[in-house]
Amino acid sequence: MTPNPIGSKVEQLAQALAERIVPLIVDAIDIDALLDKVDVEKIIERVDVEKIIDRVDVEKIIDRVDVEKIIDRVDVQKIIDRVDINAIVDEIDIDKLVEQTELGSIIARSTTGVLTEVLDVIRAQGVGLDDFILRWGNRLIGRGKRIAKWPDGPPLLVERSVVAS
Amino acid sequence: MRTVPVPSTELTVGRQGHYAGAVSRLVAFAADVGASWGVYAVGVLLVNAALKLVTGHSYSFGQDKILSFVTLAVWDFVYFAYQWAVSGKTLGMAILGLQVVTREGGSISVRQAAIRTIALGICLLTLGIAFLGIVFQRERRALNDFMAGTAVVYDWDARAARLRWMARNQGPLRRGAEKKTPAS
Repeated sequence: MTPNPIGSKVEQLAQALAERIVPLIVDAIDIDALLDKVDVEKIIERVDVEKIIDRVDVEKIIDRVDVEKIIDRVDVQKIIDRVDINAIVDEIDIDKLVEQTELGSIIARSTTGVLTEVLDVIRAQGVGLDDFILRWGNRLIGRGKRIAKWPDGPPLLVERSVVAS
Repeated sequence: MRTVPVPSTELTVGRQGHYAGAVSRLVAFAADVGASWGVYAVGVLLVNAALKLVTGHSYSFGQDKILSFVTLAVWDFVYFAYQWAVSGKTLGMAILGLQVVTREGGSISVRQAAIRTIALGICLLTLGIAFLGIVFQRERRALNDFMAGTAVVYDWDARAARLRWMARNQGPLRRGAEKKTPAS
């Protein structure tokens, strides 16, 4: 079968026309204006993400991933260097931690003796009584509220405790 | 002991380095007087026994009032000044968790420890008036603190104490008691 010479010529002409016209049309189109008109939210709403996820074989993807290779590439030391351990420790509420875990019992078993317990009680009671005497003593001479402005401690020690907390 | 409630954070954590109050200081001083006089009494007994052993005669060290007073005064000076110079705290202060520091909060010198001890004796002669500053002065300093350029602060590990406290209340006995409470 011989090819139709007219048909091939028309095809060439169409090809040449397309090559000329298409760039002109593309240049004439304002892509930005077109994109502005597109309601992406509406498109997203129409997409059934669940269906797409269902089609994805996650197991197959995981099987293909060479985790060992990824781990080998990770510079753990660099990550550790970047982590601010002090900031993390500061975030931890030690009191809550002790309340919620057995940590407190362990500390108690390892550090508490009868004498320590007695000292803890005496010292805390002493601080309470100190406050009481200071408050009432100054209230009696009419400067009860003024003591609130008194310094808590020597500058070196109070500044250190503020920095520590 | 296990039923003692955990004291508030206000009374424990965060008090380290704060000026100590009158009651803690008074109790610490009483403990120190007891300790120093106790050691003195034991010392006198030992010296008397030694003298009797060596000379064969019974001699009571306490017979000579002036000698006894001078010895006691020197002993008390050594007791307080030495301990303050070495660690900034006496035995009684260590029990109550107190420490003598400079007005700024640093360690005190030997000279300050000596002046503070002598000034303490002078303060005692005022029958307590010299100690009123502990309650009414903004830095809770008594006259001997002013003379030596010192202050007294809380120095006990309050955070550790609080943890111990909470741990004790969390222990098996406490838990058992809590479980029994609804039934009773």
